[in-house]
Amino acid sequence: MLLKTNKLMKAFGGLKAINKVDFELPANEIRGIIGPNGSGKSTFFNLVSGVYEPDPGSYIEFDGNDITNEPPHKVGELGLARTFQLLRLYQDMSVINNVMSGYHTLVPYSFIDAVTGRKKIWDQEKTIKEEMMELLSFVGLADYAELNASELSGGQRRLLVLARAIAGKPKLLMLDEPAAGLSPVNVDNLMKILMRLKEKYGLTLIIIEHILKVVMDTCSKVTVLDHGEKIAEGTPSQIKDDNAVIEAYLGKKMDDEEMRKALAV
Amino acid sequence: MDKFKEIIRQYPFLGFVIAFIILMLVPSVFFTDLYQSHLASLICINIIVAAGLNIVKGFCGQVTVGHVGIYAVGSYTAGCMFLYLGSGLWLTLPAAILIAGLFGVAFAIPSFRLEGPYLALATLGGGEAIRLFIENGDFFMSTYGISNIPQPIIFGVPFDTPDKYYYIAMPIMLIAIYFSFSVLRSSVGRAFMAVREDPISAAASGINVKKHKMLAFVLSAMFAGGAGAVYAHLPPGYIHPNNYTVIEMVTFLAMVVFGGLGHIWGGIIGAIIITIVYDLTRPLYEYQLFIFGLTIVLTILFMPKGIGGFIDKYFIDRRFKTKTGAASK
Repeated sequence: MLLKTNKLMKAFGGLKAINKVDFELPANEIRGIIGPNGSGKSTFFNLVSGVYEPDPGSYIEFDGNDITNEPPHKVGELGLARTFQLLRLYQDMSVINNVMSGYHTLVPYSFIDAVTGRKKIWDQEKTIKEEMMELLSFVGLADYAELNASELSGGQRRLLVLARAIAGKPKLLMLDEPAAGLSPVNVDNLMKILMRLKEKYGLTLIIIEHILKVVMDTCSKVTVLDHGEKIAEGTPSQIKDDNAVIEAYLGKKMDDEEMRKALAV
Repeated sequence: MDKFKEIIRQYPFLGFVIAFIILMLVPSVFFTDLYQSHLASLICINIIVAAGLNIVKGFCGQVTVGHVGIYAVGSYTAGCMFLYLGSGLWLTLPAAILIAGLFGVAFAIPSFRLEGPYLALATLGGGEAIRLFIENGDFFMSTYGISNIPQPIIFGVPFDTPDKYYYIAMPIMLIAIYFSFSVLRSSVGRAFMAVREDPISAAASGINVKKHKMLAFVLSAMFAGGAGAVYAHLPPGYIHPNNYTVIEMVTFLAMVVFGGLGHIWGGIIGAIIITIVYDLTRPLYEYQLFIFGLTIVLTILFMPKGIGGFIDKYFIDRRFKTKTGAASK
């Protein structure tokens, strides 16, 4: 298993944001996580990536390492990358610098090398930059490399966040609503790029998404959360017909009679 | 020209050798009296402080108003080492850098939990505490100040006049700039910026936020400490607690803000301009704090990235235009 959580728990005061969630994810899978707002999806991400500290009794394992109480940068070093719902781009840095800072853990030279400014650093920096430019052209942002990230459009920002997360060559990439606020055409484009990236880098993906088409089309398995608890897990078609999921998230399919009644009111 | 640029980029050291030769010739060509040399040395010292301040404030985004305290630590390390041990600049400079670095650690700790104005308050308190400690300590000669701190002697030649001291301060400044450039253009500089822009997402990229904040504070404290030592030995070699008040801090901040926060040349451009303006406005002593405070406010309002950012914007827009054949916006 690439990622495993056991009795994962997090309470904010009296609210159990995540309640005893057991989660297992084998390598090379694309997993979707769905659930209504406030069901604990983002909290789950924050716990796994170390932004929040889980409550005692929880256990998180990533790639054979116990990461339960590791700080976020340690988790990142191990090869777990994530994006944020609110993007959290480095607004005041150029696009290329955004991506290059995602490469941080792989930089081959030491701090002492950097301070003394030896020549080999500039060669290595050049190689890094070329590699990152390649990544940028892969997602279609190469022409904007020298612009400030704040000058990009909404869709381009989402692509940039994706590129930054992939720059560190992670094993597992967790995407928090990658397609939120995108037009249907852009959503398709983003998913196409995502699938190509997955193939190229051999990524394992976890995707939180409210656009169900994305989840149903791309994910091989879906986990459903509600009120901090895992209420269902299975293939997209299984999830679609699961009564608990319909009740909590998808909503009931109305027949004609019910529809007429609902509209009349 | 492009080829020349490429060579400099590959061998940054070469650029500094060229700068060194040019700066060596400046006094004999331009300076007409001792006072200008004195001012030039002062500019060199301020450039060191501003380059350091730019690391922590401009690149790492940590607001510090206590830097003048660390600068004082550097000066008084030099002063006291002369007073009690009779050491010269070549001993006091490394000692000042080292001790200032330790103070940098102390100043970094509040930054782990505090941000923005709260961090500014904490560091302001720290800086003022250092000054008051010096002012009330007999060990530091309290309000008498330490005088007659000697200038270095190289091969029997004493560098004891302002025009000669310039040749001490200038190379030290170049070395400092070299280090600051090396750090800021490397992955460490990028990590600093990432911490400034968004610590949470920086951590998600595997950047150790606390470590980099600490690094930024210690590095810039070392710059300030070194500058303090060079200042202590500046002819006539006199230091007094009143040289390290909030007014000086505001001047340092004005240099970095005016030159361009987070711009690699920012502190340097700012230090040159502000030091000269500071000197020209000496007759208006009562208004200096007002002038520099106003400069900071106006710069932040109308030119948030200072002169450096202004230049940057122009060049990058042009580069973008030539690449895509269209105006960016």
